[in-house]
This record gives sequence, structure tokens and C-alpha cells, in this order.
Amino acid sequence: MDINARKRGQVQLVQLRGQLRMGPAVDELRQTIEESFGNGDTRIVLNLAEVGMIDSSGIGLLVKFLASAKQRGGSVKLVQPSKFAVQTLRLVGVLNLFEVFDDDEKAVASFA
Amino acid sequence: MSAESSRTDNDKDGELTNLLDLRMPGDTGAVSEVTDTVCATLTELNIPEEKRMEIALAVQEALANAVVHGCKNDRSKQVRCRLERDRRGRIVIIVTDPGCGFRVEDISDPKRPEGLNADHGRGVYLIRQLMDEVHFENGGNQIRMWKY
Repeated sequence: MDINARKRGQVQLVQLRGQLRMGPAVDELRQTIEESFGNGDTRIVLNLAEVGMIDSSGIGLLVKFLASAKQRGGSVKLVQPSKFAVQTLRLVGVLNLFEVFDDDEKAVASFA
Repeated sequence: MSAESSRTDNDKDGELTNLLDLRMPGDTGAVSEVTDTVCATLTELNIPEEKRMEIALAVQEALANAVVHGCKNDRSKQVRCRLERDRRGRIVIIVTDPGCGFRVEDISDPKRPEGLNADHGRGVYLIRQLMDEVHFENGGNQIRMWKY
């Protein structure tokens, strides 16, 4: 999985490309977000437009990060999750836990 | 991972065509490779994308459970994954691990309020939602699932 993280003001914008599944993809995203938390960045935007599949390991990671970010006064917001990702998140009942946006700018602006 | 492909049109389990018979180590890093191999075979069979994605995610979850729970992440142990098709065109996936199985009734519903924020425990639920028929066999160390 390709992970591209960059700062937009106070927000960490993370662009993902590939499948968010058990193994290297989940491990790399965990490391990226934990580094953000370690730097005090708890306002996270995850762009999922190019993530075709999220498995239960990936879902668990997203839910865990959301809870951790909220505990620190931040949040994790999603941008353009694919149709199948939305279907999967809805199936397990966690879609409504997240704010979902059409583009990065709106998601970033929502933290203002 | 090793793979072999053979045809057995009169399989004793119900005239199944064996499309793939894969073995992988009990390593989480090996799960996605097997899932992708299954998915590529489904593409060759012209299975529609939506159905293919649902089967692929169910396979991914079954393999992950087999590695984590059945093999306890022990690379020296092996998971077997078979892809078959019956004469009615239904896809059958069988995943077998060397573990001692589990009690299906012990699995809680991840959509219960206390489960929504958990970081695990959604795999079997997803499989049941994505596939049309799911059976746990041999005390839980083998899952057989169908997509019609």
C-alpha cells in the first residue's frame, strides 16, 4: 500500500492507495498514524478514494485510531471511501462513527 | 505458498471442479497474496466485480482467522485454501487450519454497542454477511463457504 502523509495546517492528511488489509498495509498505516499522534497531530484526514478493500483488520485500526484521536481532542475523518469500502464499513455498523467528506479540502476545513 | 490446479469433475463432495488448492504459512504477511491469487482466478472465470470483491474479502477474513487463531501466527504451521465450483456455477471456498477450532456460538455480534469500538472481532460476521452459505466444520478449524 502507498501511504502519503502531509500536513495541512493543523491537520494530517493521509492519502492511501491499495488495499487496507492485514499484513504490511495495516502495519504501515498503524506506524504512520502512531507517529502523528506522537507528534501531537490528532486531527487526521484519511483519503480512501483509491482503497478498494478494507478488511476487518483495517476496520479495527480505523476504529481504534478514531477513539484514540477523540480522547486526545482530535478525530479521524474519511474522504471518498470507495463503494465497496462504504458497503463494508456499513455492514459492520461503523460507518456512522466517522464523518465522511467528498474531498480533502472540506474534510480539512471541518476541523477549523 | 504452493499452488496446484486440477480438475476433478466427479468430486465425492458433490461433483465439484477444483480450481485452486493453495497452502500458505501461518504468517499474516502471506494472507493477501493468497487472497489475490483467488481473486485472479475469479477474474478468469468472469465473475462480476461486485461478487468477486465480496468473495475476496470473505477469503481474506477466513485466512486471517486461520493464521491468527488456527496457527497462532506460527510460520511453521500451514493453512490450506481451496477454490471449487459446483455444476450449478456456485463458488465454494474451503479454508482449513491446524488449530483446535472454536465454538461458533461464542462469537459475539460486533454491531452490539459494546462491540462497535472494538479493534477486532468482525471477521466471522463479515464472512456471514458477504457469503450466501457458511459452514464451520471439524470443530471450527475448517470453514466451507458458498457464493451462489
